[in-house]
Amino acid sequence: MSERTIELEVLRYRPEQDQEPFFQTYKVPCEEEWVVLDALNYVKEEMDRTLSYRWSCHMFVCGSCGMMIDGEPKLACKAFLKDYPTGKIRVEPLSNFPIERDLVVVLDDFVEKLESVKPYIIPKEERTVEQGEYLQTPAQLKAFKQYTLCINCLCCYAVCPQYGLDESFVGPAALALAHRYNMDSRDLGRAARDDVVAAAEGIWHCSFVGACSQVCPKDVDPAGAIQQAKFAHGIDYLTSFLPGGKR
Amino acid sequence: MARSAKAVPWFLFAAGGTVLSFILPVMIFTTGIAPALGLFTDALSYDTMSAFVGNWLVKLVLFGILTLACWHAAHRLRVCAHDFGIRADTAVAVILYGLATVGTATAALALVSI
Amino acid sequence: MNPRKPYVRPISKTSWFMTQSRYKVYMLHEISSLFVAIYSAILIIGLVRLGEGEAAWQGWLDAVTSPIGVIFHLIAFVFALIHTTSWFKAVPQAMRIQRGEEIVPGKLIVGAHYGVLAAVSLFVLILAGVA
Repeated sequence: MSERTIELEVLRYRPEQDQEPFFQTYKVPCEEEWVVLDALNYVKEEMDRTLSYRWSCHMFVCGSCGMMIDGEPKLACKAFLKDYPTGKIRVEPLSNFPIERDLVVVLDDFVEKLESVKPYIIPKEERTVEQGEYLQTPAQLKAFKQYTLCINCLCCYAVCPQYGLDESFVGPAALALAHRYNMDSRDLGRAARDDVVAAAEGIWHCSFVGACSQVCPKDVDPAGAIQQAKFAHGIDYLTSFLPGGKR
Repeated sequence: MARSAKAVPWFLFAAGGTVLSFILPVMIFTTGIAPALGLFTDALSYDTMSAFVGNWLVKLVLFGILTLACWHAAHRLRVCAHDFGIRADTAVAVILYGLATVGTATAALALVSI
Repeated sequence: MNPRKPYVRPISKTSWFMTQSRYKVYMLHEISSLFVAIYSAILIIGLVRLGEGEAAWQGWLDAVTSPIGVIFHLIAFVFALIHTTSWFKAVPQAMRIQRGEEIVPGKLIVGAHYGVLAAVSLFVLILAGVA
């Protein structure tokens, strides 16, 4: 195994003593096959125990270690050092979120939005245990499967300019998840999600920059989900004015 | 939060964007670049154009394209204004959709009078 | 005392799009609408002039073929191509077509759009050349 020294420029912010964030450089002896998260763990264990950051699974499943790596939102566990040949890597907390401490951002706003879109199945019919499971064909599953893969890493929010400019926007991941349930054959909750999803702050705030889908580490394509939702909710809106329409 | 009426301009924007993506390049070439190159002089002569636009089907198609183009552009420029930092969205919307209405009405009047 | 003191990084409302190349590309797409608007206005004025008689129509044609007219139409043509290519690229995302358990590949949808573009363009050119 070969070793290489990486200059890790980490944005630090310690609320009890700093007025604003600053960059601190660590020279980290790294192994060739490491990811950025390994380098951060090395710093934490061997160099500076005051450094704060979130991580858990180290295998792109938990969504905890999203951060800006050379200006691009990425999972630190999926950002391989070999892809940074200059040996200098800049690590910052996710853009568009307030910094709690070092690489840790404040997630309260997102969690609130996630809850607001009712991200759970609102069934067409309540079934008792005796009645058995809700059946679904593979084709019905395929209609929404892609949108279930979101791990809430918030890379999409960090690159969405509309969220950065106006945090009232519900944002990519929450709207994609709403779409996931709206597309589920077992769900009948589109009207119940309408107030949030089809509000000015919901899908209509999206201007289809498309950056969210470009950075998504799970290929969820939130931008696509939102445009599809615009069409579906738009038809709902127009037909609501027809005779017999639900307003 | 409440359901928004933005669905209406968005549909016009999306329909316009789709139609324009197919027709706009060739239209700009035909009416804007070809004349300077000396092409299509017969087709663009007064007599041929009057007869061509005099056809009701042509009138209908032109009206459809121009209406969608006006509303597509108005809605996208509204987003542009926001992106350039203008936050007076209501005023911007009134002005741009107003201009789109004027464009639509002028096109309709002009087509009817040919 | 609350020890929390979240730090909010400032974002420029008027120049945020200069921070990433993908934002610049997006703004280029958006600005195409300005040229759509101006070109539509020129065409509508053309129709008005056409209704006013031969001299008025000739005046409009002269304006179109003036240097400023030509320069505008050349720029507008480039933006029309930007609009078309970016719009087609986005179609598979906005319009997902599912056949049974398969999603129709985006390349197929985009390819079909370019086919229609070619057919429509050819139709208009034949119309202009023959009419």
